[in-house]
Order: sequence, then C-alpha cells, then structure tokens
Amino acid sequence: MENSVQFSTLFQQIINGLSLGSVYALIAVGYSLVYSILSFSNFAHGGFLVVGGYICYGLLSGVDVYGFFEIPSSGIWLASLGALGGAGIVAVLTERLAYKPIRERTSMTLYLLIASMGVSIVIENIFVILVGGRFRALPQDIFPSALFNLGWNVTVSSSDILSLVVAVFFLGGLQFFLSRTRWGLAIRAAACDLHTAGLMGVNVSLLISIVFFVAGLLATVGGIFLSVRYTLYPQLGGITTKAFVAAVIGGLGSLPGAVVGSLILGLAEMLTAGFISSQMRDLVVFSMLVIMLLVKPAGFFGRQISDKI
Amino acid sequence: MENSRVLLELDAMSMFFGGVQAVRNMSFTIMENELAGIIGPNGAGKTTVFNVISSVYSPTSGCIWFREQDITLLMAYQVNRLGIARTFQNLRLFGRSSALENVMTAMQNRYRYSFRETLRGHLSPSYRPDPAYHYSFVESLLHLGRWDGVEKHIRAKSMELLERVGLADRMFQAAGTLPYGMQRRLEIARALALDPKLLLLDEPAAGMNPEEVFALNDLITGIHREFKLTTLVIEHHMDVIMEICPHIICMNFGAKIAEGTPEEIQNDPEVLNAYLGGEEAENA
Amino acid sequence: MKKSLWASSAFVVLGLILIFMPLSGYEEGIVALLCINCIAAMGVSLLTGFTGIFSLGHAAYMALGAYTAAIMTVRYGVHWFPAIVAGGIIAVLIAWLIGMPTLRLTGDYYAIASIGLGEAIRLVLENWQSFTRGARGFPGIDSYTSRTVAVGFFTVLGIGMFNLIYSRLGRELKASRDDRVAASLMGFHTPSSRMKALLISAFYCGISGALLGGYMNFIQPSMFDMMKSTELTAVVVFGGLGSMSGTLLGSAIVTSVMEYFRDISQYRMLIYGCLLVVIMVLRPEGLLGSREIWSFIPIQTLRSVFRPMPRPDARPKERG
Repeated sequence: MENSVQFSTLFQQIINGLSLGSVYALIAVGYSLVYSILSFSNFAHGGFLVVGGYICYGLLSGVDVYGFFEIPSSGIWLASLGALGGAGIVAVLTERLAYKPIRERTSMTLYLLIASMGVSIVIENIFVILVGGRFRALPQDIFPSALFNLGWNVTVSSSDILSLVVAVFFLGGLQFFLSRTRWGLAIRAAACDLHTAGLMGVNVSLLISIVFFVAGLLATVGGIFLSVRYTLYPQLGGITTKAFVAAVIGGLGSLPGAVVGSLILGLAEMLTAGFISSQMRDLVVFSMLVIMLLVKPAGFFGRQISDKI
Repeated sequence: MENSRVLLELDAMSMFFGGVQAVRNMSFTIMENELAGIIGPNGAGKTTVFNVISSVYSPTSGCIWFREQDITLLMAYQVNRLGIARTFQNLRLFGRSSALENVMTAMQNRYRYSFRETLRGHLSPSYRPDPAYHYSFVESLLHLGRWDGVEKHIRAKSMELLERVGLADRMFQAAGTLPYGMQRRLEIARALALDPKLLLLDEPAAGMNPEEVFALNDLITGIHREFKLTTLVIEHHMDVIMEICPHIICMNFGAKIAEGTPEEIQNDPEVLNAYLGGEEAENA
Repeated sequence: MKKSLWASSAFVVLGLILIFMPLSGYEEGIVALLCINCIAAMGVSLLTGFTGIFSLGHAAYMALGAYTAAIMTVRYGVHWFPAIVAGGIIAVLIAWLIGMPTLRLTGDYYAIASIGLGEAIRLVLENWQSFTRGARGFPGIDSYTSRTVAVGFFTVLGIGMFNLIYSRLGRELKASRDDRVAASLMGFHTPSSRMKALLISAFYCGISGALLGGYMNFIQPSMFDMMKSTELTAVVVFGGLGSMSGTLLGSAIVTSVMEYFRDISQYRMLIYGCLLVVIMVLRPEGLLGSREIWSFIPIQTLRSVFRPMPRPDARPKERG
C-alpha cells in the first residue's frame, strides 16, 4: 500500500514536472537565444513575460484605459496573439532603446547586464503603479479544465497537456525557423560569431531585433501558462531566474541544452516538492545550479571557451 | 662571460591539442647567459613552446628542466617565481593601470630562490618573497611599518627600468593607451621587473616598423649584456634573429628542424627547404 | 604615496564632521544609513571594480552579518561591538567556504553562481525557523547603531580600504582583473588573489549587515534578496568601476535619492530602474570612470599657474 502511494506520487510528480519543465523551456530558450548572440544574461527577459501576461489578462477581461476608451474583452486566441505581439514589440523596443546604444559604445557585457536589470525593475514597477501589486488570476475558463485519471490516483489536467503541446509546438516552430529559413541560418551564424556574420552581409541590427522579438514571444507563451498556474503579479518575472538556471544547466547559449535543462529542473522541482517538502524546491534548484557550475560550467551542451595566449 | 651551466632543458616535449600536434618531440638546451632564438614560419609551434615553458599549458609528454629542477607540472605562478619571465605575442598589459603601475605590479613579486634541505634528505628548491620588495597584509592595511620604505623602493626601481626601456616620459599614462611599440617595450620592462633568470620574448618585433625593430634589437642585446640575463627570443622574421642571436633553433610544423649558429642555420638544407618550400607552396 | 595619507585624513575629517554636526534625529538616521550603505558598497567595489568579479549575491553576506549580530546580542546578550565584528567574521568564513569551489568560475558564470548561492543562503535563513525565526523576521534588536557607531565603523573601514588599494594588494587585484593570464605569469596565484578580494568584501558586507540590523531593529530574509545584491553592484557601477571614491559618491547619491523619494515609494523603484538604464546608456563608465576623485583636481595646471617662470618646453599636459 505504502509502495503504491509512493509510486503514484512519483508518476504524478513526473507529469507535473514535465509540464512545469515545458513552461520553463519556453522561457529558457529565448533567454539562451539572446545569450548565444550577445553573450550577456538578459535579466529583463522576465519583464517581457510579465508584459505579455498582463496584455493577455487585459485583453481577456477588457481594459478601461483611464476612461478614455475601452477595449472590450476578447477571446483567448485574440488575447494570446495580442500578448505575443505586444511582448515581442516590448522586447524589440528594449533592445533598440537600451541595449543597442550600449553595445555600440562598449564591448563590456557587464553594462548590458546592469541595464537589463534596470529594465526588469522598470517593467516590474510600471505594472505595480498601473495595475497594483495584487495577484490576479486569469479567467478560469480560458483553458478547458478537464482532469484525466490515468489510474493509480494519477491525474493529468488538460492545462498540463495543453502546456506540453503548446511548448512542443512553439519549440518545433523555433527549430524550423532556425534550421529552414534564411534568417534562421543567419541567426545560427551570428551565434558562432556575430561580428563575422555582420561582415558577411547579415543585417546585424535587424537580426538582433528578430532574436529579441522571438525571445519575447516565447517568454510570453511561458508567461501565460505560468500565470494560469501561479496567478499573475508584477514580480512574476522573478521566476525566470529558474529558467536561467535551466539554461545554465543545459549550457548557456545552447537551445537543446535549454530544453533539456528545463525538463530536468521541472522534474527536480516537482519531485522535491512531492517527496521532501515544497519549501525545499528553490533550495534544490539553486544547489543544482551551483553543483552544475562546479562540475561542468559549460553545461550539458555548452561550448567550452578558451582564449588564445 | 661564457658559462657552461645548463639553465633550461626541454626533453622530448610534445604538446597535442586534441588531435593536433602543436609541438612534437622537442628537445633543446639553453645555457646560462645565452641569447638564443627560435625561428620558424607562422604556425610552427613557437609560441606553444613558450606556453609550455612558462606552464600556461602542461605538455602532453616530455619534461622541462629549469636550473636542475623539473618544472613540467608546476603552475604558471610557481614557474614565474622560480625565475622565468615572459612577454606575449598579443600584448597582455594591465591596460587600465599606468605604465609605472604595470612595472610596480611585477616588481612587488620578486622572489628569492634558494635550495632547501628537505626531510627526505635531498635538495629541494624553494622560493620566498624578497624582503626588500615585500610587506605584510597588516602593513598594507595600516600603511605602517615597512610599507613606506618598500613602496618607495619599488617605485624608484620601477622608474629606473622604465627609463632603461625609454618610457620615462610616459610613466603615468594608462598602459592600454600607449602606442604599440611602447607597449612592447613596457612588456619587456615588466618582465625585467621580476628579476628573472630566463627571459622569454615572444615576437617582440611584431607590428614594428624597421626603425623600431633596429632600436629593439639594441635594447634586447643591451639588456642581455647588462643584466647578464639568459634570453630566448621568438621571431618569424629571420633577419632579426640572425642579427642578434648566436644560438638559433629552427622549427617547422611543430618539430625542430635545425639548431646552431646563424651561419649553420642559413646553410642548412632543411631550413632553406622549409622557408623556400613554404614560399613555393604559397605561390602555387 | 601621499595620496593615501590625504585619503586617510579626509576620512577622519569627514568622520568628525559627521559625528559632531548638529542634526535632527531623522537626519542622524540618514547619516547612519549612508555609512552603512557605503561600507557594503566599498566591499563590493573592491570585488567588482578592482578585481573584476561580478557578484549578484552579496546581500547574502549582509544577511549573515545581520543575523549573526542579531542572534548574538538578543539571544546571548553579547555586547554589540564584538557581535558586529563577529558578523563580519562569519560572513568571511562562509565566503571562504563558498569561494573555494566557485571562484574558479569567471564572468557571467560566477555572477549566475552567486545568484544561486545568495538565494540559497537566504532560503536557509528563511527555513531555519528555530534559529532565525524564519521569513517573518527577527524583531527586537537593540538599536546599537547610533550615528557615532556607524560613522566610526565607516571611517575605520574606509581608511583601511583606501590603504589596501594603494598597496601591493591593490595592484595584485587590478592585475588579475585586467589580465588573469598575465597576472599569473607575473607570479600571482590568481585564485588566491580573487579569494582575498572576496573575503575582504564579505567582511565589509557582513559588518554593514550587522550595522543595518542595529539600525532597523528588525531584520528579515527578504531584505537581503537578489534586489539588494543588484543594488550593491549597481551602485558600484554607477560610481565607476575601479574608483573607490566614485563608489562612495555613487552610494551617497543613490541612498539620498532613494531617501528623497521615500514618500512616493511606488515610484521610487521605477526611478531607480530608469536611472540604471539611463546611466548605462549615457555614461556606462560611471560617475568617475576608473579614476579617483582627486585625480580630477588639476594639480599640474595649478602648479603651472603658481610657477614663477614656466619653462617654454614644459607645457602642462592636457588631462582626460
């Protein structure tokens, strides 16, 4: 009896872990994509997710923009589309207004890192001021909420399945974009060497904008699922720290690495919650990060970088 | 002047990077007070030899002996403390510090070398900070005790060295903003500040115009004489080394192909083949 | 080498002014807060600005110092002075344990690891209910951080920091910042250089945290989150990497601005975030760049003005 409970917990937590991991993957991939091109940790990545989340929330429930005009509430498809586009545009704007001037000025990525923290603080607090710091639940009926019982007390909610399917869809789309399109090829070339790609006639500044748009878009997909899971609040972007951890575990700058790292992290988090205690989740996450960095700093799929003497 | 003691010895040293054989089975000896040169076409593995001697890399196989001690497995800073100083092909100055500070930084690291009897009964080489250039952490925290005297000493000595290499008037300029030729000379001054037994110069003439090269040759031979300093120079311009080094080692494709005096090297068929053959291949 | 003497005397004078200046209670509090923030900023500046190690977890060392001092004074009735020093020492010990394996990492990797470590320490403090009273915080700390105590610590630690920079250690750290390979080939064992910088910075942050506990009378793990770590590093970058006086200036400005906007607290963070971005865009090298404040005093020009007969060939050099 005891064994079967353990067993069903294990299965349940594996399913939950995969679902959470798939959400992390969406966030981590965008973060890793930006890192692969510009080699800096974009801490504003969480901000894009929050922007997307709030746009989605706003469009779903209807916004009254200070009495000037009113946007009626719309369906999930329109809301998601708006959220994806909006967050993508915010990401591109961030790149153009904040990062580009810095990149043109210095080659030190430290400044970009700090600017990205500034952006993340700004985005967080814009929402604190505009909509308040309250937790907001997305309307429950946006996703079909059926529970499927798999036996042994293991259940899968339809939103879990949906998040997995959507994640696979978007990651597959990204893979297609990167491997089959002209811009995808350019992005892969730029990931090897941005400067040389520029010399080969790639429009670098457009390329970086595209990368940021894609990153913002993917973050928002993750963000919508996260806000269904944890509700929506201005500090939700902080959860991307875990996506960073996932990206590092997989190998910074490597997209398959980010996906694998995210799944590992999601599983580790859910198994810890299931078998030890849910308060230890974060501790396990950060310990995994540190251990990984010590054992294999380049991650599972990362490039080893050495400089010429 | 001539001294027959061996200072540095490479014994069948090989260095592989993955499958690439950067250096194959390299053996040579450098006597004390020698001014020796390594020449070879680009990519012949000259810098790799330096990197292995200064322990940036540890060799795949073979041994390196320095003053009768096996330094093959030592760390870079340990090798340095034993008395090997080097410059870099692509300059590696402390760019944001002033020229003077660059030299002072190296100067404060002077170590004295002594043999010490260990418990096992055989001589073990050891190094300890030279007291004239050293003070403790507490003294740096409080600026008391030896701090003042030692700092003044280091500063004065560093200024002397900068004057010697002709950088006295650029002392307070940030090293990274100096002209290229001056940066090269600053690197030499910084290496000299360590008071080394062996000085490794990696392509000191790279990127210099003929006039500067001429002055540099003077500087290298001058330093070699004044400081009675064993010097090993890498160049791929044959004429530079032919002019200043009585002892030349010629490398190609990671292996030594000839060794001897400038005349011997110039008349060596393999060297001629390597250089001419290289040109033929380029022309083809 | 008179620079350091000037710096020391400037600190003493500044300290005396701050201690004996007649101020209202509120202003005294701000002076104490300024000193506390400056101490932590100096520590991070040594690590980030002078050694080139970018940390995003230094608030954890503040937390360690704060909790050590709080637990010692409240639970064991230790006098505040040894408790504050013990706070610094505990931070150093933990930093040593952490630094041993992690300082091998460079660049962004260390920054990311430090996030993990910082958060891990905070989570431990949050979950170790029996010892730290958990997330709800640790109340009832004596208000031992008077203006005099804060200014006193600031003066002593400030003099120590400037002395260290203008000594062999300062050059050693800068060497391993500018070029690690070259530094190790100049005879520096760079891992231990980096370790020294980390330990000293942890000590400063520990002391600062311990003082903060006495200033607020209440500490809570969430006071020392990643936000606080970011603030520490941001202040250092704002002041100028590699400029200790710039760090002090930056810290003073940021603390004052934040204090000024205390009433509109929700806009405070927004302004702070904007400030970070704007500074990075407009002046990424920070307020003073990598120069100390006295290098802006045009000594050579002054000298040439007061020189009776300037030689024709000795024109004063243009600075900057």
